[in-house]
Amino acid sequence: MNPVLVVGGGPAGLSAAAELASLGAEALLVEKEGYLGGNPKRWHYSLLAPDLKPAEEVLGDLLGKVEGNPRVEVRLGTSVTAVDPAPPGFRVTLQGGKGPEGREVSAVILATGFDHFDSRRKFEYGYGRYPDVLDFKELEGMIHDDKVLRPSDGKPPKRIAWVLCVGSRDLQVGNPWCCRMGCVVSIKQAVEIRQKHPEMEAFVYYMDIRTYGLWEDLYWKSMQQYGVKFIRGRIGQITLAEGGKRLLATGEDTLLSRPTEVPFDMVVLASGMEPGQGTKRMAELFHLPVGPEGFITPKISDINPVDSGVPGLYLAGAATGPKAIPDSVTEGMGAALRAYQHARR
Amino acid sequence: MSVVAHLPHRSLSLTEEEAAQPPSMELTGRRRMSPADRGLSQTLYEEFHQDPRYHEYVLGCLNCGECTTGCPAARFYDFSPREMLQIAATGDATTLWDALQEKIWSCCQCYTCNMRCRFGNDIAGIISVMRELSVRHGLEATRKTLAPFGRSLTLLMTVGTQVSADMIQPDFFRDWGPFATGSDQVWGVSPEVMRKAIPLDVLQTTRSSWEVSVQTSLELFRIYEETGVLDMLRGLDPDLTEMLVDIIEERREEFREAREKYRDELITMKGPVASFEG
Amino acid sequence: MLNAAEIKKVLEERTQRQRGTGKKVTDVREEMLRLEEKGELLIHRIRPENRPVQMQTLFGWNKKIPTDRLWHHKSCGQCGNIPGYPSSLLWVMNQTGRRYLNEPHQTSCTAWNYHGTATSNPVALAAVAARNFHRAYETDHFPLVHCGTSFGDYKEMRKLLVENAEVRHKVREVLRGMGRDLVLPEEIVHYSEWVQAMAPEIVARRRFDVSAVVATVHEPCHYYKMVPEDAVYDEAVYGGQRPAVPTGILLSLGARVADYSTWYDCCGFGFRHILSEREFSRSFANLRKIRPMVEEAHADVAITSDTGCVTTLDKSQWIGKAHGQSYLLPVLADVQFAALAMGAHPYKIAQVHWHASPVDHLLEKMGIDWRSAKNEFMEYLKALKNGTAPELLHAPRAEIEQYFAINKGQVLPVEEPSVASASVSPGNGRVSS
Repeated sequence: MNPVLVVGGGPAGLSAAAELASLGAEALLVEKEGYLGGNPKRWHYSLLAPDLKPAEEVLGDLLGKVEGNPRVEVRLGTSVTAVDPAPPGFRVTLQGGKGPEGREVSAVILATGFDHFDSRRKFEYGYGRYPDVLDFKELEGMIHDDKVLRPSDGKPPKRIAWVLCVGSRDLQVGNPWCCRMGCVVSIKQAVEIRQKHPEMEAFVYYMDIRTYGLWEDLYWKSMQQYGVKFIRGRIGQITLAEGGKRLLATGEDTLLSRPTEVPFDMVVLASGMEPGQGTKRMAELFHLPVGPEGFITPKISDINPVDSGVPGLYLAGAATGPKAIPDSVTEGMGAALRAYQHARR
Repeated sequence: MSVVAHLPHRSLSLTEEEAAQPPSMELTGRRRMSPADRGLSQTLYEEFHQDPRYHEYVLGCLNCGECTTGCPAARFYDFSPREMLQIAATGDATTLWDALQEKIWSCCQCYTCNMRCRFGNDIAGIISVMRELSVRHGLEATRKTLAPFGRSLTLLMTVGTQVSADMIQPDFFRDWGPFATGSDQVWGVSPEVMRKAIPLDVLQTTRSSWEVSVQTSLELFRIYEETGVLDMLRGLDPDLTEMLVDIIEERREEFREAREKYRDELITMKGPVASFEG
Repeated sequence: MLNAAEIKKVLEERTQRQRGTGKKVTDVREEMLRLEEKGELLIHRIRPENRPVQMQTLFGWNKKIPTDRLWHHKSCGQCGNIPGYPSSLLWVMNQTGRRYLNEPHQTSCTAWNYHGTATSNPVALAAVAARNFHRAYETDHFPLVHCGTSFGDYKEMRKLLVENAEVRHKVREVLRGMGRDLVLPEEIVHYSEWVQAMAPEIVARRRFDVSAVVATVHEPCHYYKMVPEDAVYDEAVYGGQRPAVPTGILLSLGARVADYSTWYDCCGFGFRHILSEREFSRSFANLRKIRPMVEEAHADVAITSDTGCVTTLDKSQWIGKAHGQSYLLPVLADVQFAALAMGAHPYKIAQVHWHASPVDHLLEKMGIDWRSAKNEFMEYLKALKNGTAPELLHAPRAEIEQYFAINKGQVLPVEEPSVASASVSPGNGRVSS
């Protein structure tokens, strides 16, 4: 049996490869970057919501099942550049360091994930121009290294604001969907900072809080135990105040129905999820239907979210829409099982 | 003792007519309307919701408040674009009526709310629709609000520019200071001479922003007649409208005389002049 | 923090979705071509003789800015109370050898009135726009819109006329009744875009060093908040996060552009407020705009590119004395500033004497001898009073033109224009925070 190709080495891809190996199949795991672990690794995610378990621990479990596993061939810095049907599988061309290489595979799992929204596109926030306006993925790394400092002067911030739904639920930047993660991750960050640095004040600007299911607990605790403050209303613009020393966040407190203008030392943008570059390329290469948002559309999304509709081609994780790590891992397992069944037939 | 026992018995203080009104009026503390106003408010409400622009401009709202963030009027008045959108989307006839009295006129029409709105609402646009509605029905509050605009409206309707140098009078624009009004106390010459010192011949007038040819004014007036603007103005101020029609009649006469005068030159020309019947 | 290639990518990725449908915003110019093919309208094209220059809009789409053979769509507010605005523009055109028409056959866009009193409606506004577009078309000069509100209104009306068949048919019927037809310009062009397109030629003619001048920019709302996809952006101006005009010309001329916290706010004009709610307009202008410009940015001048904004920001300051605020920050249009830097007469051309805040100390900082210019102007006024013929920037209109919009009926060649590409060259100027 030819190996099953898994495209993407994030949580969904790692889970798929590990599951294939445990079923006794061979997995060929292709990752365009030079490391495994996807966005959590790339941006040095700190604790993962909602259990506040270190990202390294969660990823470590997955990586442990893949790295050094004789049934998983890992190809880093490699992309899939061409594909031809070779029933029951595919013939693919891989482009790595050494030039193109043809491979026969029995099935394919696309786990190409998402990209964080580039917050410079929401130009009212001056991200990329004002150093103390951060993307929350950057704050993850700071929290991870316990170096929560203002990039402008290296000093610890006294007041921090989180702005939710940056690049999500917003026609003005072309992204009307919800990222599902911005609320819980921002609240988690505020909790982490308040735990370690109770002297720092944390304000979250929101329009609704979507800590769905059991995650609601973290939202409640953030107020009850950690004194995180929530203001209903979004920040409409960020400018410089006090001679450029601080940031001025302007919004409306929609519960008080008044405009607010508050100086902050640091503003954190909860940037949304967009279909990853790899997702877009693979959708084109495999001629898969994409929704208006640019994510790949599964054949029957409600009862079989991992089937693409093309025999032997399966989907897992954020390639089909914004997803949390546990959901991505579950889909990786599901896709592995379906690929295994196809390959065995 | 129950708190309820302290509340006044509602029907005692009401006339028969008032008692027939829905109770929500009392409970929300709004001022009472006369039966005529109540009827009109219902008409306005229906007309508002039937405007083809309504469904195009009002789509829904996440209540994020980004519209109000940048709103200049929200900083000085009891007004917010979010509230206006809510009134348009979910308000009843009475809520709309209240907004039409004063609030709609707070808006600066700067379009900051529109640019910010992540839901794609046209908030500045729906406020304009509300304003048009109040103008068409000549609401008393609207007539009062627009009273200072008689002069600029006259200029706009009959000539086609909105400002003239002779409108910027020192007594009316005292807060602009002595320089802005080109006062003769500063320069020692009349406003007419000050305008002559502008190196563009069409600007050398004090009666409008620039000289507008008679044909151009008549074309503009024709647009007003054919697109319902004149009828709308009639609802707001019938006397002013009749005066405008008289002025335009004079301009048309002037045009006809000029056509006789320049007959030979015009015959050699093609295009709109030859065919235009003012 | 920002690298040019990255910025370019971000600019290109910028998208927006249409209200209601949620689909990506489409280019109205493409739909115009389809409607022209169906015979529903005519497009007034930018031709080689318009010497177009290319710029980029919000979404990275190309926009052609014609620089020659232009039809001046004047602004009623500018001409009415800040005449140095149009006269500076025409003077710069004369200096750079550009041809134009400045006629009496133009109405205002009437949008000031609409946004102030609502005594009109979109069909009427669209018909007025189309009437003026047609007039420009028949003279074979491309419309150049002086006013920010006219620019915003014409963008909206062009979109409405393209997207709404009912309005289109009604307007066409009205136009045909007066011997005109529905013509939409290929681009709606604001004069500040022309100034930016002409930056190399303007800088080449610069006579005064403006590097000591600190300028704060007020971006006119209707320039970029209405139909945002038609406004031009350039990576050299705030990383492409703010419109390229009018900041670009200041950078090109070598001035220092300073940022301030309320840059995004409107000026306080309010359309009706400037006339009948003046306490609002002046409070807003002074507290939200002028004060931050002076106290945060230590500006020498506020530069903007719209009628209402110059009016509100400038005329609202004098009364500030009554509240113990006497900033008296000069307020000029970008083109007045450019003309002054090129050596235009401050009074005869830039007409700075209509401005409420004195411009003298700014002129001094630019190295302009305003005292002798002022004496010269006083002499000129005396001469005019005594009946001397005024100095003009172009030949005056013929007598017949007081009545008739005569049709000069030029023959139009049909060729594809060759397009130069323009981007903001920062010159010696820099953006400081």
